[in-house]
Amino acid sequence: MTHSLLVRPIAKREWTITAVVAFFFIVVLPLLNLGGLVSDFTINLWGKYLCYALLAISVDLLWGYTGLLSLGQALFFSLGGYMMGMYLMRMIGTLGQYKKDMPDFLVFLGWERLPTFWTPFSSFSFAMIMMLVIPGVVAYIFGWLAFRSRVKGVYFSILTQALTYGASLMFFRNDMLMGGNNGFTDFRFILGFDIRSPGTKRGLFIVTAVVLTAVYVGLRCLTRSRFGLVQQAVRDSENRVLFSGYSSPNFKLFIFVLSALIGSIGGALYVPQVGIINPSEMTTEKSLEAVVWTAVGGRGTLIGPIVGAISVNALKSWATRAYPDLWLIILGGMFIIVVLFLPKGIVGVPGMIRDWLKKRGRQTEPDLPPLQKPEEEAA
Amino acid sequence: MKKAWLFCLLATLLSSSLSSAQEAKSARAIIAEAVVLTEDSDAQVKLINSLTGMSDPDLEPLLDAWKGGSIYLVEGADDKYIAVTLAGDPDATKKETALRLDTKEPLKDAQGAVIRVSPARAEIAETDSSIRRAMKSLLDLSKLTAPEAKDRMLAITQMGMERDVAKLPILEQRLQVETDSSVKRAVQEAIALTQLRSPDKAVRLAGCTALADIHPLSAKDSLESVVKEAEKAGDKELLAAAKKALAAVESHRTTVNFFGTLFRGLSLGSVLLVVAIGLAITFGLMGVINMAHGELIAVGAYTTYVVQCLFAEGLALSPFGMKVSLPGMHSTGWLYEMYFVIALPMAFIMAALVGLALERGVIRFLYRRPLESLLATWGVSLVLQQLFRLVFGSNNVQVNSPSWLSDNWTVNDIVFGWNRVFVIGFAVLIIFGTWALLSKTPLGLLIRAVMQNRNMAACLGVRTERVNMMTFGFGSGLAGLAGAFLSQIGNVGPSLGQNYIVDAFMTVVVGGVGSLVGTVASAIGIGVVDQSLQQILGNPVLGKILVLGAIILFLQWRPAGLFVTKTRSLES
Repeated sequence: MTHSLLVRPIAKREWTITAVVAFFFIVVLPLLNLGGLVSDFTINLWGKYLCYALLAISVDLLWGYTGLLSLGQALFFSLGGYMMGMYLMRMIGTLGQYKKDMPDFLVFLGWERLPTFWTPFSSFSFAMIMMLVIPGVVAYIFGWLAFRSRVKGVYFSILTQALTYGASLMFFRNDMLMGGNNGFTDFRFILGFDIRSPGTKRGLFIVTAVVLTAVYVGLRCLTRSRFGLVQQAVRDSENRVLFSGYSSPNFKLFIFVLSALIGSIGGALYVPQVGIINPSEMTTEKSLEAVVWTAVGGRGTLIGPIVGAISVNALKSWATRAYPDLWLIILGGMFIIVVLFLPKGIVGVPGMIRDWLKKRGRQTEPDLPPLQKPEEEAA
Repeated sequence: MKKAWLFCLLATLLSSSLSSAQEAKSARAIIAEAVVLTEDSDAQVKLINSLTGMSDPDLEPLLDAWKGGSIYLVEGADDKYIAVTLAGDPDATKKETALRLDTKEPLKDAQGAVIRVSPARAEIAETDSSIRRAMKSLLDLSKLTAPEAKDRMLAITQMGMERDVAKLPILEQRLQVETDSSVKRAVQEAIALTQLRSPDKAVRLAGCTALADIHPLSAKDSLESVVKEAEKAGDKELLAAAKKALAAVESHRTTVNFFGTLFRGLSLGSVLLVVAIGLAITFGLMGVINMAHGELIAVGAYTTYVVQCLFAEGLALSPFGMKVSLPGMHSTGWLYEMYFVIALPMAFIMAALVGLALERGVIRFLYRRPLESLLATWGVSLVLQQLFRLVFGSNNVQVNSPSWLSDNWTVNDIVFGWNRVFVIGFAVLIIFGTWALLSKTPLGLLIRAVMQNRNMAACLGVRTERVNMMTFGFGSGLAGLAGAFLSQIGNVGPSLGQNYIVDAFMTVVVGGVGSLVGTVASAIGIGVVDQSLQQILGNPVLGKILVLGAIILFLQWRPAGLFVTKTRSLES
């Protein structure tokens, strides 16, 4: 611990809590499902939530820690999903409607043979490599262009929004050969397992939980390291970081690509669990929803996005059934309330209550509350 | 008038060998004479042709009656048929009064009693195909001399499409007497196109030369087939002439497309401008990211819808399951069409009111936190969208364009739609109004002061809160105007604003935040580039994607947009 003065080691207690929660998701829930105590539907639902949590973490890594609000995370999420979807489409084989060894929509479009770029996707490992390469390259190119010309703040948000919008327009087209506005669906097998069987769903859930834990632990270490400190310094005052001799564009680029990859992995895990991917997944609205999960859970913490993604989506599952007409109003209201009254999100509520108890009677805080320091979040 | 008379005379001489004594007869009399010649259809055709050039108001109805079988033949006293029409109320035996066709007087028998005929029993004056053909060309020709230029134009275009070589002389005569320049052009076009069909090579050549001069867009197919024929026949002279004409047509098409694209680009740019100008104020001047801007546009569009309904039958709404119905004015005609004039200010006011509520309720807490204002206003946008769905239903509502917006001018084959012309003028007015407000009024001075240095303005006694409120309200009102306009050119639905919000932000960012000139320049630029790309690629979506890509690359070159507001601040 050469830099222990700068970076406090992660508390043992936190590791214990992480381990317990992870154990619950990875081992206990699937066992309960096996025993019939937890329904297959619930497992599937929670699998989706955990994928959303990955997406929310990727938003938070950028927004909470680096100060870059990307409205393009849904793009990376669905790019990953599309790569997985291409593999799953190849796995349908001749079971499609037209009984040909290529996706139905290609037959429908009048293709006699499989387009070249589709052929390697029958290999799972190739699809997984592409799942990292494609979003990575897109993020690298866009990030390189954006950070080189010092696009930041709101402009970064608007440009990522435009990027997502452009991409969705492209994927909506049939001659993109990616299924047009129907996207991919009707999947059958993944790695030889029937994708609709409860066993496969359980397996996917376990994999998602493991990946989420790994990403959480990895980012926990990264944001605690020196690198993480520079990252937060970029957020708080980029010019000072530049003047201190750090190349802030490179830092931002690295984080942008990393968060794109995390989003993409989330998408790749999401698609086999919901059984469909189409261009409506890569809209600004979806990106903004992920931002709300992060904001509701608590931005600038790693646990916040997970809590936010799960709680908002649980609320959504309930509200869209109970009050389908009011769900958007609830979601919109949540945006407003969280921004105006809960800048630290759910995770910050105990801290806010503590502060309020302490400061009762005294004058209230200044307009902009300081962002929560990572050190506080163990509480 | 003399010319017209001459034309009549010429036409008569040309198509008829009948004696000039018949010229004195009326069309009615000639037709009556023709109808009874049941045995000799050649003579009938001759008589019909003798009507050529006569502009008698009875002509068309009488011929139609003949064709339609409502002229009857009654045997007269001397075994001759008399042509009659039937009129009057049918009596108990379903008989009607017979009127002589030539004099319109009731037909009387020898005793002087009015003859009554039952239509079911009477003999119908029949026609055959040669007679009908003669009637048709007669009517076509009579339309050529119609007093209204519009009617003549229609007749000429139809005749031009027939490409009937036999009608060339008639067209040529028309060309000599025609005074209206656009009709004259149409005649020339019809002549040249018909000439291409002529068996005579010299005439075909003349047609090609004429087409090279007047290069109508419609000549493309005909010329191509002439080129093919000439190639087959190895006729070099004709081939060269036809190719020359084809090249002239093609280059004219290029010109028309160029100016058409420019005009469409300009009008699209104006739409972008109208949509983005409100954003340029709230985002550019105030630094507030208002993601609900699109919904303020929708407020304007829905206001237009409501005003329209109030002018007409009224409307029934069902917000939250309640039934609300607003009675309408049941106005029609010009009064109804004026609804848009009322809708414009109403749209401004409604959107401004919603904007003021938004500013007071949410945005004033977030002036220094743009990213947070983005999120909160996105929330507002979701809520508003859902409210629209609850109040107006999730389907698009129907907004009618007033007729004074739905016609077009065609100048030299370039179509100028009035609604597009209107949007350009509208954009100019809005820009001028905004500029005048910002630079000529006391409020504008305060706005500029607050935007330049909020703290100093506050120190000098400016009520910055109030100025913020007014500015935001004004920007929102402009969004409402945009909505009223968009309701005329597209669908009005709950997600209307979403379709334009990305474009609007792009326009403001490319122009340079805080610069109205920049917004104007970038809106026009993006509009023209978008339309040109569409023209080149033949695909609107691909064009749009390329424009988005181009914008991202453009910001590499000028990260702060076209017109940079200079500042000394490091963290701008």
